[in-house]
Parts: sequence; structure tokens; C-alpha cells
Amino acid sequence: MNHLAIQLVSLPAFALLALAMDRHQLDLLGRELPPGPTRGLRMAGWLALLASLAIAVGLKGWSLGLVTWCGHISLSAAIVLLTMVAWERRKSVKK
Amino acid sequence: MTANDKKHSKPGKPAARGIRQTMSDLHIWAGLLVGWILYAMFLTGTVSYFKEEISQWMRPEVAHQAAVPDAAEVVPRIAEELQQMVPGSSQWSLGMADARNNVVSAFWRIAKPAKGERGFGSAVFDPQTGQKVSSRETVGGEFFYRFHFQFHYMPVLWARWLASFCAMFMLVAIVSGVITHKKIFVDFFTFRWGKGQRSWLDAHNALSVFGLPFHAMITYTGLVTLMAMTMPWASSAAFKTQAERQAMQSEISAFVPAGKPSGQAVPLAPLGDMVRQAQQRWGADRIGRVTVNNAGDASARVIVTYGDFERVSISPKYMLFEGSTGKLLEVKDQVGAAAETRGVLYALHLGRFGDTTVRWLYFLTSLAGTAMVGTGLVMWTVKRRTKLPHPDKPYFGFWLVERLNIAAIAGLSIGMAAMLWANRLLPLGMEKRSDWEIHWFFILWGASLVWAMLRPAKRAWVELLWAGCAALALLPVVNVLTTDRPLWRSAIDGDWVFTGLELTLLALAALHAWLAVRTWRHQPKRKPQRQAAPRPAANSPAPAARDVDSGATAASAAMAPDLQEARP
Repeated sequence: MNHLAIQLVSLPAFALLALAMDRHQLDLLGRELPPGPTRGLRMAGWLALLASLAIAVGLKGWSLGLVTWCGHISLSAAIVLLTMVAWERRKSVKK
Repeated sequence: MTANDKKHSKPGKPAARGIRQTMSDLHIWAGLLVGWILYAMFLTGTVSYFKEEISQWMRPEVAHQAAVPDAAEVVPRIAEELQQMVPGSSQWSLGMADARNNVVSAFWRIAKPAKGERGFGSAVFDPQTGQKVSSRETVGGEFFYRFHFQFHYMPVLWARWLASFCAMFMLVAIVSGVITHKKIFVDFFTFRWGKGQRSWLDAHNALSVFGLPFHAMITYTGLVTLMAMTMPWASSAAFKTQAERQAMQSEISAFVPAGKPSGQAVPLAPLGDMVRQAQQRWGADRIGRVTVNNAGDASARVIVTYGDFERVSISPKYMLFEGSTGKLLEVKDQVGAAAETRGVLYALHLGRFGDTTVRWLYFLTSLAGTAMVGTGLVMWTVKRRTKLPHPDKPYFGFWLVERLNIAAIAGLSIGMAAMLWANRLLPLGMEKRSDWEIHWFFILWGASLVWAMLRPAKRAWVELLWAGCAALALLPVVNVLTTDRPLWRSAIDGDWVFTGLELTLLALAALHAWLAVRTWRHQPKRKPQRQAAPRPAANSPAPAARDVDSGATAASAAMAPDLQEARP
């Protein structure tokens, strides 16, 4: 359960960070967002990432929490990337 | 690294060698030189996060353990058996059964070893009956773990030096790789599909960057685990006498050397009581090991050691009892800062503290690390293939790297699966059975190398990947035919060790199949220049265009090498 809590926060964190990048805005939304919302997305992403760290450390203490968190953020980043690759592939097949 | 190559290869304008270019060269060559060994170290190390589970699978005679037995009851049972088996042994030690181990692993010093005999004996015991386990002779998952830092068929010391050397190269490759990688943050989530060399680089980057905390940690801590061997000077300068060295040892290891026996026979006080004291202190399931020195002598000592649970350190944590009376003599649960640092780094490497989820995270990131090394190796050939004057007749260096890649990557899976096959198929009473399981690992791995050398490269990739897929996918079938624990029964019984391991084998088989299909389907676009001009690299004036163009070709050629023999 603890693990789920960490993952459920770090996963959206990376999704937000990805959405805050021009290249992926173009890929996913078809246009670049103005600087304001982009900054908001980036801030939200970093905050969520910090929150996931806080959850991990809060639940498991510094030593176990940090190790666990490192594992979870690697997994979240990979899931976000694979989702975007799958999304792109689907789009290019449809065309 | 491509960005710099572009700059570097711009015709007629020799660019100054910047730090990135230098680092890129360092990264490429440090990676290539030891890449094949690193790949094997990484993959066998990865599966070692589940070595206990692999060991259980390789001893199918030992029943699935539904609940962890109480150490306070198990220890006296096995101690009694051991005292009859090895009377007069100056030391024996019991590794407890726990949530991941369904046997108690014992080792002991042999009282009077015959000439040429090793001074240690070992056996596994059933915690329920206290009897020696009568299962097939096997090293189990322990082999992959040992292989991962000391290989096989070679002196342990040399092998560990070699492993340290490779790990040092790995560290160099990681640091130089980070410097070379120009846009870690901008390219963080970038993956361009089907763009040849570009895609390989993206994949290599993603695998490296996402797992970076892990890769850096595992390489550095790996070096730390062997540091006493590679850099003994500080400790040999600081600790000069035997007593000082022993004091240092006691800070880093729970090993308490046996004293001189008094010669006065006194039976051991009840071990169960001592274990209970430790359980009261740490919790019922926290006993990792029980060691007895000079059992049956007046000088006997009993050491109850804390297990690996939820403690990110392997620094010694134990309780020392007087064997004859059961009196508590010493509680060790703190060490100095330097020793604790080492204890933490070591524990981080082993990852034994983690629950199942953490171990899966370790496994997955470590697998990503394996793929990082693998993609790096393949990229060396992808990058150079486009520049080959005759793609079907590459120069020797290219040929060698390509063939070694095939054997190191596709062949290793076959070898590792072969060991599990041997575990199920070799006759049970066979002489040196556990040695032969290991021999089969190397026989099949070696055979893959021969195959990779004799066949055209693309076909060798495809054939060996399919062979790996079949070897992995059929293991659950072999298990059905040779044991009474088929996958469905394991699943119904709630035996997650067998079920999980076999499902993982099937998942890995699917991965091999996917790679094989993608490699086979790959139809590299022929570059028109290739037929026209003998040196295609020289007549592509616009670097940008060249990058995209040849990238696509190389990409397709990713794992699909020989252009000429794409269709027989």
C-alpha cells in the first residue's frame, strides 16, 4: 500500500514534467502552450515529485525511504516515456 | 555524442576537441572494452536479487513454505542433528529460514580436514524436521550471485580483481556518459521511434538516465564491496597487529572467531532460550543467523545475528551468549561511522533489506542497466555500419565486436536458461551433479559464440534470440514433466515463488520473441550511394542530412546487420 501511495504521486509528477516541455506539448497537444501554463505545469510536477519523496521518507524513514523513492521515480519516468511512445505509435499507425 | 560527432566529422574543418568529444571517446572505448563482461555481470547480478527464489525453484523436492517457522524452535532441532553429524567442529553456523528461504543453510568447520580437503562443510536442512534436506544436488541461484563478481573456472582472487577492474571502467563510463550527454533534461522523455542510430541513442539515454541513481549507486557500492581487496593499504597501514586487525574485523563483520577450546566438556545450554532473548529484543522474525563456536566445550559461544530485514546496513548487529550457561555476554548493535558507512553502502548493493516490491524495483532498474550496457554495445556497431566500405565484408574489428555482441547478449540468456534445464534434466544421482549444471551454462554459452561466428550476423541474432525464447518458454513445461509442481498447481496453492518465477520466465521469453521478430522484420533501406560509391561516408557533404539519412539505415540495421543477406 505504501508503495502504491508513492507511485501514485511520482507518476503524475513525471507526466506533468513531460507536459511542461515544448516538444511533448507539440506531440501530445499539437501546439505549444504559452509560457504561463507551462511554468505552472513544471512547478506542479516538481512539487508532486517532492511530495512523493516526502511520502516515501515519511512512511519508511530516511534510509529505506530514499532507496524506495529512487526505485519508484525510475519506474514512473519509464512508464511516462513508454506511454508517450505507445501514444505516438498509435497516432502514426492511424494516419 | 552524435551532436559532437557531427561537428567533428564536418569535412574540411577540424573542430577543436572539446571536453564532450574527449568524454565521448572515453565513454565509447571504456564501455566497449569491458562491455561484454559488464553485460554478464549486470544480468547475473540482476537475477541475483531473486537468488533465494531461484534456489527454491532449483530444489523442487523441498515443499513450499506457507509460514515462516519460529527460529527458537528450529535452531535446537537442527543443532542436535549437527552435533551428531560434525562432533568436534570448532564452529558451525545456521542461516535461518525466512520469508524467502524454505531451508536452513548450515556450514561448519571440519575438525580435522584430510589433506587437500577444504576446511568447510555445508548442507541445507529442513526447518520442520531438522533433517538434512534430501534434494537434488545444486548450487541454486547462488551460482549467478557468485558468478556476478567472481566468475568461474578461474582463481577467485583474480576474478574479483577483474570484476573490480570492470566496475571501475563502468564508473568511468557513467561519469563520462553524463558529461557527454548534452541535454539530459531537454531530452529527458525523448524517444524517436524508427530513426535508426538516433533511436538507439535515445533508448540508451533513457535506460541510463532513468536508472541513473541506481546505476551510479550499484557501480560505486559494487566497488566498495571489494575495496578491502583492491585497496588494502589504508587498513594495513592503520591496523598493524593481529589484535588491531581483529578489532577492525569486528567492526565490519558479525564473524566472531572461535577461541581455543578448554578441553573441558560442557553441554550447550538450551539454544532456544538464547534465540528467544534475541527475538524479544528485535522481533520474532528478525533472526538471521545463529553461530556456535566450540559447541560442547566449556568455552562455547553462541552468536545470534540480526537478519537483513528493513535495515539498510550490513554492519554487525548481534548478541553474544556464553554457550555453557546461556548468559548474555555482549550486545553489539553499533559500529563506528566509517564502518557504518561501509555497512550501508554494502547493504544498498545487496538490496536484501527490501520487501518484495523494493526487490522488484531493484530487479527492473538493474535490468534497465543490463539493457543500457547492451544497447551501448549494439550502438557501437550501428554507428559504424553505415561507414563500412563493404557492409557484407566488414573489417576484423567490426566483425569481432558484432559477433561478441551476439554471443554476449543473445547467448547469455541461452546459457542461463540451460543451467535451469540441466537442473531439471540431469540424473539425480549423478556424480558432481551441481558442477555439471554449471558446466552446461558455459557449454551453451560457448556454443552460442561458435554459432554467432559461423552464421551471418543478422541470422545469428534472430536464431539465437529465438533459441533463447524457446529455452525460457519451455522451462515451465519441463517443470511440468519432471516435477509434481506444475505452474497451475503452484498458482492454486498460493506458492508465489514458483508461480512468480515461471511467469517471469515466460515474460522474458516474450521479450526475446519480440526482439527476434523486430530484428527479422527489419528491412534496412539500401542507401543508393552505397552501390554508387565505395566510400559513402566521404560523399555525404551535409552533415545534418547525413545524420538523418544514415541514421535511418543504421536504425533499421539496429539488430539486423548484414544488408546483403536480408533475403536469402
